[in-house]
Amino acid sequence: MALRELPFRTAAALCKDTRPAVRVAEPLFRRNASSEAAREVESSSSLEVPPPSEELVKGYDPLARSRLRRRGNKELPPSRYQYRSPKYYRGPLHPHQPPPESDPSSRLFQPGPFSLPRLEQTYQSTIAADLLTLTYQHYPPGYRAPKTDQRLRQWTGDSPYYKNRPLRPPRGKGEVLRLLNEPRTFRNIPKITKVTLHSMVPEAQENSAHMHVAGMILQAITNVRAVSHKARHNVVGWGLRQGRYVSVTSTMEREDAQDFLAKLIDVVLPKIKEWKGVPGSSGDGHGNMSFGLTPDQLALFPEIEVNYDAYPPKMIPGCHITIETDATSNKDARLLLQAIGLPFYGKLND
Amino acid sequence: MNLSIFRPVLRPFKPQIVRPSSVFQRIAQCPQARIPAYTSPFSSTSRMQKRSKKGGGQDPRITSIRYHLSHPLTPRPLHFSRNRHLRHWTIHRAWMLFLRKRRWAEERDLERQYMSMRAACEHLRLLDQNGNRVSEQEAGGQGPDAGRLGMRGREVGRLYRSAMLKRGVWGSVPVEYARVQTDFPGREGWNHAWTRN
Repeated sequence: MALRELPFRTAAALCKDTRPAVRVAEPLFRRNASSEAAREVESSSSLEVPPPSEELVKGYDPLARSRLRRRGNKELPPSRYQYRSPKYYRGPLHPHQPPPESDPSSRLFQPGPFSLPRLEQTYQSTIAADLLTLTYQHYPPGYRAPKTDQRLRQWTGDSPYYKNRPLRPPRGKGEVLRLLNEPRTFRNIPKITKVTLHSMVPEAQENSAHMHVAGMILQAITNVRAVSHKARHNVVGWGLRQGRYVSVTSTMEREDAQDFLAKLIDVVLPKIKEWKGVPGSSGDGHGNMSFGLTPDQLALFPEIEVNYDAYPPKMIPGCHITIETDATSNKDARLLLQAIGLPFYGKLND
Repeated sequence: MNLSIFRPVLRPFKPQIVRPSSVFQRIAQCPQARIPAYTSPFSSTSRMQKRSKKGGGQDPRITSIRYHLSHPLTPRPLHFSRNRHLRHWTIHRAWMLFLRKRRWAEERDLERQYMSMRAACEHLRLLDQNGNRVSEQEAGGQGPDAGRLGMRGREVGRLYRSAMLKRGVWGSVPVEYARVQTDFPGREGWNHAWTRN
């Protein structure tokens, strides 16, 4: 390219000196042979904007303007755009508010989407409409849902400190407030929000190479930087010691998640011998489904298969895949995943 | 060993630039310019193999994985001049507008479908067995319970009740149906012999 441009550049450099010192302003209405044709193609052209009025041209003095700008202390920001959004959010009353997430100067800004994955297209054109049709529940016009009462427990007692306390969660260990199942409308059709890969490597407590290989494999598969996690408790049965790094995760959203799922469903799962499907017992009741892959199955991903030799075969980990959806129940989430192409087997967890 | 997969696609590989000052230093250190500063060891055995013989050596694959994990080739952050930033901002706003319009159009599509389903269900609910429309009091299905019968009993809204039963809906999507769209249809577009069981 540079060689091809060379004669033009030399010509331009030679012509630079021959140019007149004061250039005569060219008329805005320049008439070329092609202008008639352009008018036929395009009804309104930006070239046909009328020139500025005479007073405006006469009154325009760039030197005076720049002098005024300097004197009036209204200097434009420096040419390098140096605005940095605040690192921490300090509340709504703070004078420095971060820009919205969609602003390119925000720290949370993610560019894109740069592509429209096939799975996304299929969802928009087929799956969303199908799910809406399948799960539509009719309520006659004029029906108003009865108001649900408070599901959190009150603090009952004489203590004055109970006043204004936040309400108590449901009784029982591990009990959480279940999500409400709103009636299905065209606005709350379940869709996939996140996909998380999690790989637990307890051998990494002795040899960190296991952790590094696992992280590299997850990165290669998911296109997302892997995050390592420590063990929170001592678990003798699993050989975990508190505070040691034992697992890596990578969380995908948007295009990454769609691409990963398409790859998983179209390429990897069909290659697994006698894969029964996702166990029907999976699902946390809040629309998240998870299942596992063994090391042999993980090695079937195309990114690993093409350079299988780059990884020590004994260190390739297994992983758990958690698909998070917008659905509020296991049924809805399962229907969505089935429509995408994940079969379920065994007793279903509803 | 091909590790090019770890390299981001967008970033071209740049050969290391030799600074002139370092070249001069190297020449100054060794007066005979012909002799290179770094001489290769006499043995052709690579260092890694040599080390592993002593014991406790590391797999070269793990070494390279560690190297590439700790040296991510991240592109530098974007720094724009004022005009470039404004141009970028304009394009970004336009792109956001485009996305919003597309999302809006998709939602209107679904809304149209929802409204027509709603109208159809309402029509079925008030439908007699002879195809006549009955009044609200005679029809059933008031309130959240779709199976509730009205004054006329079972003969009104039979189709509506069977539709709202949702029998066989949950878990009904067969794997054969759940396929991602492709640019071109398959060689056999539709398997006519397929049955559920």
